[in-house]
Amino acid sequence: MSTASEPIAGTSAPLAPQPPVAKAGRNWLSIGTFGVFAIILIVLPQVLNAFWTGRVTGWIPIAIAALGLNLLTGYNGQISVGHGALYGLGAYATALVINEWAWSFPLAIVFSAIVCFGAGVLIGLPALRIKGLYLALVTLAVATLFPQVLEQFSDTTGGSTGLGVTSPELYRGRIRDRSIKFEAPEWTGLASDQWRYYFFLVVAAICFLLVRNIVNSRAGRSIIAIRDNETAAEVSGVNVARAKVFTFGLSSALAGVGGSLLALYLARVSSGSFTLTTSLYFLVAVVIGGAQSIAGPAIGAVFIGVFNDVITPDLPEAWKPASPLILGALLIILMLVAPGGVAGLIRQFTGRMRTRKLVNSAINNPSSGGTT
Amino acid sequence: MERFLNFLFIGLGNGAIYAMLGLGLVVIYRSTGLLNFAQGEMAMFTTFIVWSLSDAGLPLWLALIGGMAAGFVIGAVVHQVIVRPVGDPHQKPLAVVIVTIGMFLGFNALAKLIWGNEQQSLGNLFGRGEIDILGTAVAWQKLGALLILAIEAIIFWVIFQRTKIGLAMRSVASNPESSALCGVPVTRILMIGWGLAAALGAVGGTFTAPTSAVDANLMQLPLIFAFAAITLGGFDSFVGAVVGGLLIGILTDVVPRYVDIFEKMPLAPAFLLILVVLLVRPEGIFGQKKVTRV
Repeated sequence: MSTASEPIAGTSAPLAPQPPVAKAGRNWLSIGTFGVFAIILIVLPQVLNAFWTGRVTGWIPIAIAALGLNLLTGYNGQISVGHGALYGLGAYATALVINEWAWSFPLAIVFSAIVCFGAGVLIGLPALRIKGLYLALVTLAVATLFPQVLEQFSDTTGGSTGLGVTSPELYRGRIRDRSIKFEAPEWTGLASDQWRYYFFLVVAAICFLLVRNIVNSRAGRSIIAIRDNETAAEVSGVNVARAKVFTFGLSSALAGVGGSLLALYLARVSSGSFTLTTSLYFLVAVVIGGAQSIAGPAIGAVFIGVFNDVITPDLPEAWKPASPLILGALLIILMLVAPGGVAGLIRQFTGRMRTRKLVNSAINNPSSGGTT
Repeated sequence: MERFLNFLFIGLGNGAIYAMLGLGLVVIYRSTGLLNFAQGEMAMFTTFIVWSLSDAGLPLWLALIGGMAAGFVIGAVVHQVIVRPVGDPHQKPLAVVIVTIGMFLGFNALAKLIWGNEQQSLGNLFGRGEIDILGTAVAWQKLGALLILAIEAIIFWVIFQRTKIGLAMRSVASNPESSALCGVPVTRILMIGWGLAAALGAVGGTFTAPTSAVDANLMQLPLIFAFAAITLGGFDSFVGAVVGGLLIGILTDVVPRYVDIFEKMPLAPAFLLILVVLLVRPEGIFGQKKVTRV
């Protein structure tokens, strides 16, 4: 805390150079919070038992897909209600390359990302002309259509029964397929569920870092400028069409990575995992966590995970639908009260703290102020 | 030919349902400029009310009227409590989409909480009889749906073009601020619009119910078809909703029977149609082109 307030005491006008000071203060705060959360995430599987480690691992695909949706909807302002379909596409792509050609997991994830990037660009092109509510409408149709497509081609996709993600194995002199497993290398001394968790965590870390860097770059600024005012962005020299299509592609690729992880997690893909509800839950995760923030989708995914895996199973059968009811109500209330979601609330709170600190230091050191 | 006619009438009957839902969507779009993603779930909810009333011993007609009345109240309350505080959908489309999606999840879960997960069945409003038209047997229920749709469309036309409330609704749709200055009670008018839309949903749901079963997912697919219908006809046109609904009904019931690849995905032709219409003529067949200032 003292390091954060030091520069303030040194400046002659406490309020005038606020932006750099505020940034310095925020950096320490955010590095600190980041460190704490990173440690929690790393220690988690050592503390939790295998069952809960597995459950928490299952939240990571949602977080990555929501991260992709957030890039598109939160930062770029293009509404997609259809990311469940891209999530599904990524899952099936992974199942395909692992079952047919026995690709390694990382390669399968990259493959899913590339396939979904392509699909995203294909959807993004018509989306250049279809905006706002209409885009929501078309993507809603995509989300509803996807399970039907899976049913139609059930010979290849397995339809609602699904498709196991398997790898061949030698068993009593014969080759048979068994569900894929995550086996930790000897030297790590980790159980397979812990290894899987860390594997997912690393993928997630790469994705979140990537989006963070993009958002803070020149490309990110054009993405945000388009959301705020497309015409103004265009006039300022942003190639709107390219930026929007690129964002759609990247967002879809992230959804694909999420889907790919889901396929690896469940070792099975079926049409039931990629319904309209899946798409809606991604939106819920983005909004509850906080659109336009990097950590928001992760917070939202934890929220959904807690509702689906912790609260719902304990409810009596007749009360199980209470979970989506609460999520729906929460969505509406948040939109009315705190459109920034949980991340927005935190930002507001820390912002207020910072202002108070600045004001206090100005009062306590009147000699250093006064020029304003 | 007979086979084709048979499919055609089934398609028209289902199309009438999409058109009813579409009319509700158009009412809301015209008055608030908002696509109500929860329209289908609200219709499902009111259909459950109709089922409860009919299960309690009321004749289906009375139950339907009860469901419509309940729908009107639900629609009005939803507008007052949830939709209005969010603000102008043209300014914040994301917020409004999110809120209607919240309602979507909410109504769906609420129906499951109240009525459970079991599938219920609801009878035909027009009985099980059939009539011979051009050599093919057509269920009275399908013709009844068309008849009710026609009545609804006429009532709506009369309300919007010939009454003071309709005039107020149209003025609110075109410019809410000026209307308020002229003494139009904007909020109350919007409330009525939402109420009417939800009441229409009860009718659409009651006609959908006999073809499947009454459960929480009853109206999800019909809603998408209704969206396709108003996209085709134009978001702000009642005629468009009716024509679009019937066309979508025919398209989704006839095409999959003849084109193998669409067999299990009746949504696909409708989806392709939505996409093409939005790309080529975003205002739809009967819609008015919107000119916006930057």
